[in-house]
Amino acid sequence: MASSENLTLRLEGRITAHTATSIWGSALDTLASYPDRAIVIDASRLEYIDTVGVAMLFDLGRQRRPAGASVVFQALPPNLASLLHRYDPAEFAIPIPARRHVGVFEHVGRSAVAQLRLIRELLGFLSLCGRALMRAVTHPATVAWTDVLDVATEVGAHAVPVVLLMGFLMGVIIAFEVGLVARQFGAIIFVVDGVGKAMLRELGALMTAIVLAGRTGAAFAAQIATQRVNEELNAISTFGLDPIEFLVLPRLLAAIFVVPLLAVLADVVGLFGGALVMASTFNVGYLQFYSQLLKAVTAQDFVLGIVKAAVFGLTVAAIGCHRGFRTGAGPASVGLSATGAVVASIVMVVVIDGFFAVITS
Amino acid sequence: MDRPPNTRPPQAVVSVRNLRMGYGTRVLLEDASFDVYPGEIVVILGGSGSGKSSLMKNLIGLHPPLAGDVLIRGVSLVRARAEEKAALQRQLGVMYQSGALFGSLTVLENIRFPLDRFTDLSREQKNLAARMLLQTLEMKQTESLMPGELSGGMLKRVAIARAMALGCDILLLDEPSAGLDPVTAANLDLTLLSLRKNLAVTLIVVTHELESIFAIADRAIMLDPISRAIIADDKPTTLRDRSTDARVHQFFNRQPDEQRATEVR
Repeated sequence: MASSENLTLRLEGRITAHTATSIWGSALDTLASYPDRAIVIDASRLEYIDTVGVAMLFDLGRQRRPAGASVVFQALPPNLASLLHRYDPAEFAIPIPARRHVGVFEHVGRSAVAQLRLIRELLGFLSLCGRALMRAVTHPATVAWTDVLDVATEVGAHAVPVVLLMGFLMGVIIAFEVGLVARQFGAIIFVVDGVGKAMLRELGALMTAIVLAGRTGAAFAAQIATQRVNEELNAISTFGLDPIEFLVLPRLLAAIFVVPLLAVLADVVGLFGGALVMASTFNVGYLQFYSQLLKAVTAQDFVLGIVKAAVFGLTVAAIGCHRGFRTGAGPASVGLSATGAVVASIVMVVVIDGFFAVITS
Repeated sequence: MDRPPNTRPPQAVVSVRNLRMGYGTRVLLEDASFDVYPGEIVVILGGSGSGKSSLMKNLIGLHPPLAGDVLIRGVSLVRARAEEKAALQRQLGVMYQSGALFGSLTVLENIRFPLDRFTDLSREQKNLAARMLLQTLEMKQTESLMPGELSGGMLKRVAIARAMALGCDILLLDEPSAGLDPVTAANLDLTLLSLRKNLAVTLIVVTHELESIFAIADRAIMLDPISRAIIADDKPTTLRDRSTDARVHQFFNRQPDEQRATEVR
């Protein structure tokens, strides 16, 4: 709609986020097509305009044009006119500040420092746990044994089915894999030695610890992290209670007592699984398996497995609680704490297992 | 809101019809009806546990009422099918009590989020609209901050900006001034009034901050948990000065229970 000098753009109806795209684009095209003409934007038939529409009007009004070819608004409702007037085009010409980019080396450096800090914190936390455990030994009456029993039920009794399944399958797999090789050398009877040593010394405790890390370590981290996010930990502290004694000690004690018991279960069903495979596939009877087992394994092997299980239990529970305590703010941090607890627990369990292997060799 | 007598009221933007609200067998509100007209600022108030936030969940379709209906510009939100319901919900801008900003996005990205999802605007256009909204809410130069870096008042203003980004002219705000200092809260009240003035936004605000109610509300709707009903629906000053209902009078004049007061004194 062009008069001899002015060009009039008439806005009609509703201009909203959903309808603005084409209007905005074609209005800008019109402005670009007539760089030397004064443009009047007539809003007299405008019914409704939302925030995106206001942004469009502002964008049309701020276009750089030569003198005499300016963009003028006509019949703009007074509230809109005053709103548009409040925006300064110069401020929107400044680019949005980008968030600082972190380079590869900086990233590696930061991660390394964070890991070192984490290890230092963990050591500090472990020393606090150690002190709490010592106090529990010297003053057993101060321990909330009902809490310990509650946690033990959750950590121990509820984990029995999965530990039984894992232990049994471990026995079956070892017997089968080793048996196939040993048969070629006529040494099938020594598979019993392998199954016995592996289950009692290593796998009973290790598999139980891995199940524990996934089930319990993550749960401890998430529970304590949620309590931290909800400021329950602060509430405990302001009552003059020690969060370590109140929340961590029952979990540590429960894990130390219950994980060895779970490991014994894993040992027994693992040996049974091995015996089942030997009897069904390699013609080694149950009685033969039993007598060979008594020759192969010692009480030392069994005790070593039990001690390891207790240490693994302590490790997983302590790391779970520690990750819970050092959680950040916000809901995402609870999930991160739980994941971090599982990963760190499994790594630490394997590292400690390595130490045991070196010490007992 | 005052209307000249003998003129037909405009179509209500939000209507509540014979609403029964609650969870399972626990009923919080029985047979409640009211209308909210364009450009009004209506405050929903009541003591703790009276169901203010639950009513808001009913109004925005997050929780279905036990009976009755909620209409958005005459269209039922309760009976709408999933797609219609989503379209109706997009007409409503909602600010949740905690702000509910997406923690992994910057302030600008949070406001741009609905524009990214539902419009074909170019990136520059969306950025411009989002930055202008931020400026409308007096939040200059915060575009690149993360929600975790914002104060309580800033968080709420960004949440309002995000609620408005898609051009919603019906805004529902859950306790906007809760947890804010008096100056920030008063500034937020001014921001809400300017949104109504400049952008003709209709506001439904859940709050029990008396000062804020007197500053912004055209109408106050008061819920009562014991009678499970709306016990007042009028101008806040009228309710304060002329209400004959003891509960309403007590609330608007911020009076404690008389017996307790005598005991303590």
